[in-house]
Amino acid sequence: MVDLLLWTLALPLVGAVIALVVPDAPGRIVSVVASVLTLVAVVPLGFDRPAGMWHELDIPWVPAFHLRLHLGVDGISYPLVVLTALLTVLCCAYSVWHTPAPGRGNVLGALLLVIEAGILGTFLAQDLVLFFIAFEVVLLPMAAVIAVWGGEGRRRAALKFALYTLAGSVLLLVGVVVVVVQADTADMVKLTESPTLPATTQLWVFALFALAFAIKSPLWPLHTWLPDAHTEAPTVGSVILAGVLLKMGTYGLIRVGIGVTPEGFAKAAPVLGVLAVAAIVVGSLVCLVQTELKRLIAYSSVGHMGFVLLGIATGSAVGLQAALIGNIAHGVLTGLLFFVAGAIKDRAHTGQLAELGGLRERAPWLAGILGVAALGSLGLPGLAGFWGEAFAVVAAYQRGGLLWTVLAIVAAVGAALTAAYLLRMLRRVSHGPVAPALAAAGEVRWPEAVAWAPLILLAFVLGVVPVLVVDLAAGAALISGALGR
Amino acid sequence: MDEYLDSYAPVALLALVGVLIVGGGFLANRLLRPRQPNAAAGKRDTYECGLDPVPGGWAQMHIRYYLYAYLYVLFAVEAVFLFPWALVYLKAGLAVIVEMAIFIGVLALGLLYAWRKRALTWQ
Amino acid sequence: MPELKLPDIDYAALLPMLILFGAACVGVLIEGFVPRSVRNMVQLVLSLAAMVAALVFVIRRAGEVTAENAATIGGAIMIDNMGLFMEGALLVLGLVSLLLFGERTLERGGAFVPHAAVTVGSERDREQAVDSGATEVYPLALFSLGGMLMFVTANDLLTMFVALEVFSLPLYLMCALARRKRLLSQESALKYFLLGAYASAFFLFGVAMIYGFAKGVDFRAIHEAVRGSETSPTLLLIGLALVAIGLLFKIAAAPFHVWTPDVYQGAPTPVTAFMAACTKAAAFGALLRVLYVGFDGAKWHFTPVLGAVAVLTMLVGAVLAVTQTDLKRLLAYSSVANAGYLMVGLLGGNKDGLSSTLFYLVAYGFTVIAAFALVSLVRDADGEATHLSRWAGLGRRSPLFAGIFTFLLLAFAGIPLTSGFMAKFGVFGAAIAGDQTWLVIFGVLTSIVLAFPYLRVVVMMWLSEPGETTPSVSIPGVLTSAVLGIGTVATLLLGVLPGPLLELADQASSFIR
Repeated sequence: MVDLLLWTLALPLVGAVIALVVPDAPGRIVSVVASVLTLVAVVPLGFDRPAGMWHELDIPWVPAFHLRLHLGVDGISYPLVVLTALLTVLCCAYSVWHTPAPGRGNVLGALLLVIEAGILGTFLAQDLVLFFIAFEVVLLPMAAVIAVWGGEGRRRAALKFALYTLAGSVLLLVGVVVVVVQADTADMVKLTESPTLPATTQLWVFALFALAFAIKSPLWPLHTWLPDAHTEAPTVGSVILAGVLLKMGTYGLIRVGIGVTPEGFAKAAPVLGVLAVAAIVVGSLVCLVQTELKRLIAYSSVGHMGFVLLGIATGSAVGLQAALIGNIAHGVLTGLLFFVAGAIKDRAHTGQLAELGGLRERAPWLAGILGVAALGSLGLPGLAGFWGEAFAVVAAYQRGGLLWTVLAIVAAVGAALTAAYLLRMLRRVSHGPVAPALAAAGEVRWPEAVAWAPLILLAFVLGVVPVLVVDLAAGAALISGALGR
Repeated sequence: MDEYLDSYAPVALLALVGVLIVGGGFLANRLLRPRQPNAAAGKRDTYECGLDPVPGGWAQMHIRYYLYAYLYVLFAVEAVFLFPWALVYLKAGLAVIVEMAIFIGVLALGLLYAWRKRALTWQ
Repeated sequence: MPELKLPDIDYAALLPMLILFGAACVGVLIEGFVPRSVRNMVQLVLSLAAMVAALVFVIRRAGEVTAENAATIGGAIMIDNMGLFMEGALLVLGLVSLLLFGERTLERGGAFVPHAAVTVGSERDREQAVDSGATEVYPLALFSLGGMLMFVTANDLLTMFVALEVFSLPLYLMCALARRKRLLSQESALKYFLLGAYASAFFLFGVAMIYGFAKGVDFRAIHEAVRGSETSPTLLLIGLALVAIGLLFKIAAAPFHVWTPDVYQGAPTPVTAFMAACTKAAAFGALLRVLYVGFDGAKWHFTPVLGAVAVLTMLVGAVLAVTQTDLKRLLAYSSVANAGYLMVGLLGGNKDGLSSTLFYLVAYGFTVIAAFALVSLVRDADGEATHLSRWAGLGRRSPLFAGIFTFLLLAFAGIPLTSGFMAKFGVFGAAIAGDQTWLVIFGVLTSIVLAFPYLRVVVMMWLSEPGETTPSVSIPGVLTSAVLGIGTVATLLLGVLPGPLLELADQASSFIR
């Protein structure tokens, strides 16, 4: 089992190298095979679930910097790991069928695999330095995906994305270095179990961590890279970006922010909560006036991640569980939304809401899937989105006090706004008379159906029995471990 | 601190003597010279070894003189090192002789190089 | 007359230096007597052989260093672990950059002309432009490298000054030897010479001040005077400041960096690579020794001032790099910024600071040599095309070289899995451990700024369409290929498996006083 952990990182990297050197067509197949193998390696990690770390691997790498190849999987990371592997498989498969200009699907596949390795590394790392390295590995391939296969403003968007997140990760680097130097260990398990840092250090180290993760998540007001990146990125890029890349921020906040600097987190939580609620409201309001499909979905991510961050900020077991579910649900639903939005844009050659309409008449299945994704995203009970949003509000309310009560109420209003803009989007795209741009729009094709089916299925399963997918106990354990003292 | 300054007293004295000598020279000159200025032609010209002065104070030297000045400095420095060495080499033995041979050898090497590169020909 | 006492000379310890100086003298002879057609080959082989031999003796001495046998020539030279590491590092980096000197396939006659001082545009200048090329550069490089070895092992300030001159003078001359863009090359040499001479004067004046303070110029005497002295430290502070100015000039720290972009741009690219890697390493080696061995007692005095210099250096390097349009100038400003990061490690003031600075020097050296090797490949009819706009679309023309350059730029930017990341991690960690967190904050902020010009070059190479004027990338000869290979592999290896070198640097990070 231990070897599996190593395989989950090695397989995508080896696949990426092979895909890069072979020609285009076989390269795409190679990337699919590699991603499927990775998924196969990832799933068994959750078969056997003892308390604490389910599986661990610990090999010294650079002892001078406390850098160890220390990987581990537990209830917090496992769902994200599986989601990452799954989305990569879907994206690679989708790319076999459709790679936007300038082609070179093998390179795209290779980059997706490198991104996957980086994200998996981030979720699996139990060593702070390793965590940072994996966090940073993701950045440039993702920028390259946007810059090469993206839309018209791709260069600017890619550079903005790269510089923004690079800025975030150097802040993270300072935090990591401070922790490692002061605690003389980079072992996250050890750091979580026995935090040795003094409270003031924790506070400002947490501030660094929070800034870094807030840029990645993204938390308002540091979200401005996201709409550009999403709008310009190719479909698969958007899916990975929204589906799992943003989760690196929230995951980092939970694992590193709360785990390593709990006292700093406890002090800064109200600020985080206010910002999260601001993100919900601002994101929703901005969505109401968006005129472009992908940009709208991108801004909706800001709002949704606001709920996740609100859950985290409450610092309660319920809030953290809400955040964990919300993370996964957002990954599934927004991934699906971007897939569908990409499909619509490919058909209509425009993403302007004003130029779309009547999709349900031309392509009822496509419109139906868009509907399911949108309804799930707005938090309809029975679909995945509901649990995360509802319980984030509940957790904030339970926290008590004037501030948190107000936050809960405002967040609930924000949830209603979410419904407003998603329904507006549905009305513009699916209903009404058939727009000229969609006159020749085809129905869902089978490669698309294959790529989307797992996500639709997950949206329902998560909506009905979230406990199957998310290990609630792990979140509770972390919170009580870090803050219970 | 006073002792430290005292050690500089000879220097100060020497400076004073210098000023006195130069100043005294000028003073004696002033006392002895005739008091009726004579504005004969050429009186204010620069004295150049008895030749008529070349117009203008700024003359460009040809760069090739530079090489000779350079070689002169080089071997003058060599000579500076040779004098103290001449006093001790008999006592200090073979090693010191070899070392000086290396030193001169390196200088000779430079001369050899300059000769091979025809830097020494007057062109 | 008092009895003459000769200092003990441990020739075995000095052998690396002696080999280099000896080989340089032989090189001068070769210039005079070996026919021109084979001169380049003979000189190259001789220089490489001398460096390898010197390296062998450095390695053989490793592990034999004790407090008794480290000092030699009456304490003028100190071959301790640190000195030995620096010697080895300088020889390895010098060896790699010397391969660039030997490259003759890119341009007929190589990158150098025989006469540095011929008036540009004159008949003789046109003649030498098509000449088969000069080989004086090899002995010059050997003299320079020998001087560097002496510089990093000098145990008193006067020896250090002599070594400074020995390694600087050949460099000034080498800067003026570029085959193309002669006027720029001569300008750079003159500028470097004048400013360098000025800095040397500062250094020497500082030595005089310190002699007045400590009644000695060797580091042990200075150390004891700094610790035990009851006199006012005015002389000490003035002296230290002046000496530091001389050294900061060589490492290109702001505000003593103004020569760097001009010289890096004007000098022949192989020489630029040599300077960026070796001069910087040598100057840091000396600065480390001066500050850690001689003046460690005055730490409280110099750390804030040098910290301010480091911050200024990082800011100036990073901000001005953003505005550059010439690749060599961009790399020059990046080298200025890197001097700042190195100073962050140095000011950590602990053993980690020492070892991380050593690691940084080696890692940066390999990367920067490979980067300049690549710059020398992108050329058109007028020689190297270093203007940024000319590099647009290079990724389409030659993906391999654009890929290598991208990787090197990422290493400069400190992206993980490159040596740049490990190096930065090391120095920042050391600075935090030494309570210099404010330096790290500036270091981090400037590295964000600095990432922009690097990424802009990357974006330019890959995402722009190649235009009519996009130059082709010459097929490198064996030597340049070797340099590129070594530099790139070293950058990758030191990024993925930095353990062995870190350990070596850790063992080396001890001075003997």
